[in-house]
Amino acid sequence: MTSIGTGYDLSNSVFSPDGRNFQVEYAVKAVENGGTSIGIRTKHGVVLACEKIISSKLLKPGANLRISTVDRHAGVVTSGLLPDGRHLISRARDEASSWRQTYKGPIPVHALASRMGGYVQAYTLYSSVRPFGVTAILGGWDSEAELGVDGQVGFGPSVGAGGKLEDEVVKRGGPGLYMIEPSGLYWGYYGAATGKGRQAAKAELEKLDLASPTCSLSLKDAVMEAARIIYVAHEDSKDKEFELEMTWISTLDGPTKGQHQQVPQELLEEAEKAAKKSLEGDDDEEEEEEEGDAMQE
Amino acid sequence: MNHYPQAWGRPRDDVYGPYDNSYFQASAPQTHTQSPAVTGTSVLGVKFKDGVVIAADNLASYGSLARFTDVKRLRTFPPNTVIGFGGDVSDMQYLDRLLQSLDIRENYLSSYGHVLNAKNLHTYLSKVLYKRRSDFNPLWNMLLVAGLDDDDKPFLASADLLGTTFSSPTLATGFGAHLAQPLLRKLMPHDEDSVKDVTKEMAVEAIKACMKVLFYRDARSLDKYSIAVVTKDGVELKEDQKLEDQSWAFADQIRGYGTQVN
Amino acid sequence: MFRNNYDNDSVTFSPQGRIFQVEYAQEAVKQGSVVVGVVSKKHVVLTAVKRNAEELSSYQKKIVGVDDHLGVALAGLASDARVLSNFMKQQSLSSKMTYGRPIPVERIVNMIGDRAQSNTQHYGKRPYGVGLLVAGVDDLGPHLFEFSPSGLTQEMLACAIGARSQMARTYLERHLEEFADSSRDELIKHALLALKESLAQDKELTVDNTSLAIIGVGEKNGRKKLENFKLYDGQDIAPLLEANVESTLADDADGEAMETDL
Repeated sequence: MTSIGTGYDLSNSVFSPDGRNFQVEYAVKAVENGGTSIGIRTKHGVVLACEKIISSKLLKPGANLRISTVDRHAGVVTSGLLPDGRHLISRARDEASSWRQTYKGPIPVHALASRMGGYVQAYTLYSSVRPFGVTAILGGWDSEAELGVDGQVGFGPSVGAGGKLEDEVVKRGGPGLYMIEPSGLYWGYYGAATGKGRQAAKAELEKLDLASPTCSLSLKDAVMEAARIIYVAHEDSKDKEFELEMTWISTLDGPTKGQHQQVPQELLEEAEKAAKKSLEGDDDEEEEEEEGDAMQE
Repeated sequence: MNHYPQAWGRPRDDVYGPYDNSYFQASAPQTHTQSPAVTGTSVLGVKFKDGVVIAADNLASYGSLARFTDVKRLRTFPPNTVIGFGGDVSDMQYLDRLLQSLDIRENYLSSYGHVLNAKNLHTYLSKVLYKRRSDFNPLWNMLLVAGLDDDDKPFLASADLLGTTFSSPTLATGFGAHLAQPLLRKLMPHDEDSVKDVTKEMAVEAIKACMKVLFYRDARSLDKYSIAVVTKDGVELKEDQKLEDQSWAFADQIRGYGTQVN
Repeated sequence: MFRNNYDNDSVTFSPQGRIFQVEYAQEAVKQGSVVVGVVSKKHVVLTAVKRNAEELSSYQKKIVGVDDHLGVALAGLASDARVLSNFMKQQSLSSKMTYGRPIPVERIVNMIGDRAQSNTQHYGKRPYGVGLLVAGVDDLGPHLFEFSPSGLTQEMLACAIGARSQMARTYLERHLEEFADSSRDELIKHALLALKESLAQDKELTVDNTSLAIIGVGEKNGRKKLENFKLYDGQDIAPLLEANVESTLADDADGEAMETDL
């Protein structure tokens, strides 16, 4: 909106006089036009959801999955230019695989976020490439079990010097949710949203009070909430049809056993029904309230 | 494209691959292994009408030392393939990690319909083994792949450090090839045609009998073993099985070696 | 049409977050002649209208067989399509060699999507100027994917790209419910009728300017068997055209060899 076209925006890596990289800011515009995606982190797991706008009736329903798995324990959903998203996810998979080869174990979610952030940032440094036109939400679960080493054959002596101490109270593992922007900047979140409907989604996420230590949202509740929030966020693109896609990762003794998986069909349908119902409920309330008041959106 | 002078005339990385910088290092050590260090002994496999039974003991020997006694030499690959490794244990671990990265990659395909079955894995492993032997840097293993093939029929095949492959209703590696195969073959008088007459119980009994014989006669074996039954419903893996009904009663009559009687 | 500062290369975003070079590449697809694809539970059909440069020249090949279970139809720069289809042939062969199984369609489509995307993010390369309809059969059944110069690949139930393809897409949307359970012949009929919708006013589908390809799953002795990629071109397509496409000269005795003009 300000100082567009003043010559500092034609090349990547160029600083404008007020210290901005315009190409990165334009990349953010591409994200803002994309379908909404959100992530919710709870003590019991992480849920990722996205709004897939149906651009053609000829698309095969249930195919074209937007949320991708990285290794086994992490998932990434992107909003914006989808081919760029695939490129980033491909790199994330390579990073996870390379970590496994070096350290013989799964990559911790924070390390993966750091690698992805670094890669995205590298594409803002050179004029021979352009920035990524996506924001990626990364959700994962670090295992709370004592990780062995990949391919280990035995468990060592059960007594004596090399034996294990039963009383070790080491708090391992836990959920991770990160959002990486086209500039390479990333933060850890309890609730993250990006894409067209992100304002509405962020407002809803804040209502859930996820950051509070007393938040008692179960994983199933998080799934229901995620569906509802996507439906709310979709109001911004009401004129188009959309498909809801959701994935989740739970603790080792939860429904997914630490793996990133699609939310099962029955739960997905249940969440969608509840979401639609609550939206209708809201509409009824709004109609009752307004008496010549301006509509909120 | 890199247009700077230092790159003029440089062949494209995406066409010719990146430079192999190892040529610039004058003294890189040769790292071709030609002898195994820690080894596992035989692996046995038998087909039956609904699937395959495969077994291996839990010992990793360091030469003549029975070094590690809780080594699991049967490795599963989802959904229903079991691979049993004999030979060098570190090479077994390498192959296990390779298969794990293959499994992770398969899961990246969005739908749960694509499956690498036992036959595909056997093809893949045999090519890996052959390539390594052609580089004079073999993976010192003899392995059995047990599972189902493209038509959901029982599949059992072997591959070894030379890249040689076999397929048969009964197979065994190491000492088992000499001691156990004749016993297992008694189940299969008509080769493949006998498979449909063999029940799961018959196959498991035969394998258990052979594991006992191997413990009696293979000096590098153990009486704890793992056994897996693979059918189209999945893998039933029992680790830490102990050999039963061992007959050592003759031992107290032994006096010295051979013909010594006092 | 566009002409602005931000359309010189594919590494420049416009202030609205668009990449004009990619959008221009998509225009190249719209200049190519129309191709249509439809998929049912058992078959996938590709069909295309071919063009010739002048009266006496040959018609541009629009459908390429990549493997027994894979084929592509192109619209746009045919030379770019050649590069992509050659790559697909190599990858498909490599998968067969390594695992003994045909490459899953989604995997090969993602590979070309990533290659195309790379051309839109690095300086010195231009986006591919071709759109592809990739048809293939694997463990999960028949698939149809649309590939565009941006690198976006999507699985479709039916698709049409190229000049005047909107008319074909309208036909496909209208009959969408019928495709899944169509028989082999019905599916071919739908494809040809959809293709016909996109023809210019005075043009007809003839043996010279139409080609069709079909891949499917069949059954043999209770086992799934692949119906290999088969291309119908030239005289081979005559019976299909006769059966399915009403000609304005329907009573013509030798309705086969129609004159074409462009």
